[in-house]
Amino acid sequence: MRRLPVYLLLDTSGSMMGEPIEAVKNGVQVMISSLRQNPQAIESAFISIITFDSSAQQLLPLTDLATFQMVDLKASGTTSLGEALKLLSNKLQTEVQKTTLEKKGDWKPLVFIMTDGVPTDDWQAGLIEFKKCKPALTIACAAGAGADANILRSITDTVISLDTADSHSISQFFQWVSASIGISSSKVEESGHEVTGIKDLPPPPSELNLVI
Amino acid sequence: MSDVKTYIQKLIEARNLSKGSSVSNLLEEFCSDPYIIESVHLILNTQKMLTNKWQIKSRIEEIIHRSIVIPNGTVGKMYEAKLDFVQLAMNDLVYTEFEGLSEYGLFYDNESETIKGIPEKAGDSKIILKFRVEGEAESSVLNEKKIALVINPDPKSLWKNIDSDPQDPFWKKDNTAEFATIGNGKHIVVASKRGRSHANVGSFRDDDFAFKFLESTGWSVVVISDGAGSAKFSRKGAQVVCSAIVTYFEELFTAADNEAFNALIFHYLLETGEDTVRKLNHWVYHHLSKAALYAHNQLVALTKELNCDLKDLHATLSFTLFKKIEEKFVLLSFGVGDCPMAVLSSDLNKVTLLNWLDVGEFGGGTRFITMPEIFSSEKFHSRFSFKMMEDFSYLMLFTDGIYDPKFMVEANLEKIEMWQNFVQDLQGANQDNCAVNLSPNNADIAPQLSKWMDFWSIGNHDDRTLAIVF
Repeated sequence: MRRLPVYLLLDTSGSMMGEPIEAVKNGVQVMISSLRQNPQAIESAFISIITFDSSAQQLLPLTDLATFQMVDLKASGTTSLGEALKLLSNKLQTEVQKTTLEKKGDWKPLVFIMTDGVPTDDWQAGLIEFKKCKPALTIACAAGAGADANILRSITDTVISLDTADSHSISQFFQWVSASIGISSSKVEESGHEVTGIKDLPPPPSELNLVI
Repeated sequence: MSDVKTYIQKLIEARNLSKGSSVSNLLEEFCSDPYIIESVHLILNTQKMLTNKWQIKSRIEEIIHRSIVIPNGTVGKMYEAKLDFVQLAMNDLVYTEFEGLSEYGLFYDNESETIKGIPEKAGDSKIILKFRVEGEAESSVLNEKKIALVINPDPKSLWKNIDSDPQDPFWKKDNTAEFATIGNGKHIVVASKRGRSHANVGSFRDDDFAFKFLESTGWSVVVISDGAGSAKFSRKGAQVVCSAIVTYFEELFTAADNEAFNALIFHYLLETGEDTVRKLNHWVYHHLSKAALYAHNQLVALTKELNCDLKDLHATLSFTLFKKIEEKFVLLSFGVGDCPMAVLSSDLNKVTLLNWLDVGEFGGGTRFITMPEIFSSEKFHSRFSFKMMEDFSYLMLFTDGIYDPKFMVEANLEKIEMWQNFVQDLQGANQDNCAVNLSPNNADIAPQLSKWMDFWSIGNHDDRTLAIVF
């Protein structure tokens, strides 16, 4: 069986404390519940959660939707986006199965990055590692005024910005991520091709501004 | 007595009343007063009671906030979650019961400390562990702890089966199956079935097939094609390439071409020298590539008619020609894409693969006959094969909708035991005991194969096409 790996890179720095982090937790929960209703997603999507604050860690390795259990997220510290990109690159290389004679390859992964601030570490070093990987699609979300969409633009062409990092906007973002994963998993099952750009995804709701 | 004295001493010290020389004598006398003794004991007992109560309360709080994680369940699948209270450091629970399990069809077995049962409905909720800890009165109200329980829906129940639109200009039957004689003493049964991923959204079957016995030249031909789901007219593309191959060998392949091959084969039967093999390979390459190119060109013509791009017609192509010559079977084949073609020996002890598969590094990396670069690639010559054998039990061609769930990876195609299992699977060795009686006398053979192809395989819901020559 081919998996559709989905990596969520979530900012858990101090500035996310309070409403934003609660909204992210809730957003991920609701996303998982709704994906469980999608026959293609429940059979193919595998989710991993990587958080970054003063350091980056993979809180959850690639896990299928049926066994997924939400992890606790706590906000504190600085914004080590570079380290998160490095960790992500490592996971993309080691966890995502390539097709060999003996093994069935996974679908190309989807990556969603969400941050409300400016990286405090050497993010370019992480970016160099990340550029070596080839996910099907990377979407970065700049949540609120404190995030720097330009830095995210150097990570991926597809950057979405939220005017404020409030619970409504964050929940809209995750609803859209959920719809995007749903579309991607049916696309790979129906057509044998992964999504290649934001044009293949459902249109983002009005709260999400596409940064051009 | 001494505990009374200690208590009073601490009390007066704490209140700063223990100054003066006669304190010691006075304390002795004070603490021997029965009323004082009784009062102190009352205080000490009350304190002990309060401490106990506090400990119990804080223990309950601790239990309520300690995380208990139980695995998720799935509707219709046996569920068992052992709550190891010793492991959880909760062996001071003297009474436990659960609320909210029965609505999911689950129950708690006290003896084995296990939540079990077969979940009846899906949900994402909190069940309640009601408990009493050591030290609490038997009549006390039970404490409540919430534990998250996720029951996943049965994925099978989530799939919809929406008919495709029969008004569509390129509509084709969602499911089809045929049985026929195909010449050279052989029969063919073939079924093609729309995948669940298409049925779920009411889209079309993209797979296609064709077969024919060409009486004038004596060749039997079988073709299958898998239209790319991402290409909007691929179902038409697949249909066109299948019929194009049949047309090519029926109409454009001349008696002279055929005679040339016969001459080569007779020569080959006498001596399999390098030169003969080279000539034979050249003949196969020449005629089969012309057929493949003819199919490609039919698609090019179709793009003009439909005013679309070639990529809108992306389809794979696998075909095999076979013929009995001088008591031997000759098999010629060509393949682009990921549809295997294989021949099983009469005793089922040997498999001969007729093509290699175009698979990418990641899922979905296959090649299509629509791609002009196929014809100029240095790998092009390796897409052909020429085989000769005494006889065979089965010649099989199938799309990735069968290959993915039944063979998984390329390496398995080389393993005879995988093919033996596959044949047994067809004969009913499967979960549903669904069998196809592969006999030409079986009037139900085509519907049987079609039914067999309904097998369930997680994550494998592509169109399925399987052609068996026997």
